[in-house]
Amino acid sequence: MVKKIPIGPFHPILEEPEFFELHVDGEKVVKIDMTIGWSHRGIEILSEHKTWDQVPFLVERICGICSCSHPYAYVKAVEDLLQVEVPKRAQYLRAIVAELERLHSHLLWTGLAGHFIGYNTVFMWTWKYREPVLDILEATTGNRNHYAMMRIGGVRRDIPTGEYGNIRKMLDDLWEKNELLTGAIVDDPVIHARTKGVGILDKKHCRLYGALGPTARSGGYDVDARRDHPIDAYPELDFDVIVCQNGDVFDKAVVRQMENFESIKLIRQCLDKLEAMGPGTEEDLCLEIGEIPPGEGIGVYEAPRGEVLHYIRSNGKNMPMRHKVRAPSFNNILTNEHSVVGNTVADAGLITAAVDPCYSCTERVGRVDVDSGDRYMMSEGDLIRLSQEKTEQIRKELEGN
Amino acid sequence: MQKEELKKKIAEKFGEKVTIDERSEKRVYIYVENDIWVDLADFLFNDMDIRFDTGVGLDDRDGVEIMFFFPVDSEHYFVTIKTFLKKPNPAIESISNIIPGAKWIEREIYEMYEVNFLNHPDLRPVLRCDTRPKDFYPHKRENKDEHEMARRKNDGDDRFNEIWGKPEKGKNP
Repeated sequence: MVKKIPIGPFHPILEEPEFFELHVDGEKVVKIDMTIGWSHRGIEILSEHKTWDQVPFLVERICGICSCSHPYAYVKAVEDLLQVEVPKRAQYLRAIVAELERLHSHLLWTGLAGHFIGYNTVFMWTWKYREPVLDILEATTGNRNHYAMMRIGGVRRDIPTGEYGNIRKMLDDLWEKNELLTGAIVDDPVIHARTKGVGILDKKHCRLYGALGPTARSGGYDVDARRDHPIDAYPELDFDVIVCQNGDVFDKAVVRQMENFESIKLIRQCLDKLEAMGPGTEEDLCLEIGEIPPGEGIGVYEAPRGEVLHYIRSNGKNMPMRHKVRAPSFNNILTNEHSVVGNTVADAGLITAAVDPCYSCTERVGRVDVDSGDRYMMSEGDLIRLSQEKTEQIRKELEGN
Repeated sequence: MQKEELKKKIAEKFGEKVTIDERSEKRVYIYVENDIWVDLADFLFNDMDIRFDTGVGLDDRDGVEIMFFFPVDSEHYFVTIKTFLKKPNPAIESISNIIPGAKWIEREIYEMYEVNFLNHPDLRPVLRCDTRPKDFYPHKRENKDEHEMARRKNDGDDRFNEIWGKPEKGKNP
């Protein structure tokens, strides 16, 4: 007998309001129906009523966590239209802020994933390790989030040379802690039992659904906009694209953990370059951009969750005529259609969270018996509780063995 | 796939039905006639093994322009295919049956511009809340000014006047 379990639209396991309707036969999910759009704010239309230079402030508010990636892709789209190259100093500064953002985003996800499977210690420690990254962002840009660093033609401000030492120290500390954290995840038999083989998204389906970022790379689908569509400083920086093969939740966690090391390496390289350059002037930060001529441009950047794409079209006025934003979650959430089916309800929450869709948490879980029409409302953490109970059960079994 | 080689192959296969415009080193735009839209998408995705990214709709007075992006990762450039659908009732064959990843973006374009994607497996609005009227397509040029849901032009004045009273002519309230 197939029953439906609605998850959301407001639920602690979802990063932003989304509605998943699980069709279950016993414990097994046989179909999933997804509805998005609960936080549709009309950003594209709003953007078409703002001047070219105001838009970065708007688009960085699309997401509190990708608040550097969206403006980065937008300014690249405009620079694609203008066919200009920004000053070298600005390129490194952009890369530093963007990579710091990736660090704090991946650490945030690792913490939440720990919470979902009942590892609240991982949750608390990871978020503790994430704090220094946010502190550095605050010290260098003025804000923990919404850094307002990107500007068409360059960046808005320089990072004071006095901060380089602090950034390096933070990175050294984080490297050690990230090693510790990676070890804790990779060596833990309970995490293995709980996440390996769960929610598999293979290479073929990654390609069919257009999966992006760690979701795709964990399944062996090797896409990374930083390498594939190189922008600014990235072609001259040395980094690896982390690719795993299994496509399960475990591999998604491993990809994100290993990417943290790559981000740290990238920031160190940028700092080396900046130190070699010496102090910069105003001209080193931003180009003088005049009017935006009619035309169109595409800008892409690899956000922590995957490739962000911005398309802009200008008709020569001081506002974009059309501004299209495609966040990676738009593609990644659709992959749940494949990866959730065949798994249990206790895993469904973990799998939907594993693509790291962007969080807005409040409570509502309902269970509807389709045949009798009975409706049960569950409390906020029931899905998380189910997931945590499963981990506990696995732990006991492993201890018993 | 090298850019020149790809351009040659497309020109050979589709002949005069496509117009290739290379804007810059990394951006190739291909204008396509409606009837080969699916064939070209199929050719790029399956035969040429190019990744599908997303799509965009854009409203004009006479019709809706839609474009889909196919990034060629190995050679670092973007192929964008474009077509123009005439009003009224813009419609085109869906590519979702070939590329499942296009399902949601086609639904979004349908929802925003009322473009009917024929043979789409599940063509319903993707972002719409339940309370939004069924005949309201937010990005449609006609809807922007005329529909009752569209913001009235003097909205701000009314609210200002309610609070502050109507300003006397020539005086700053």
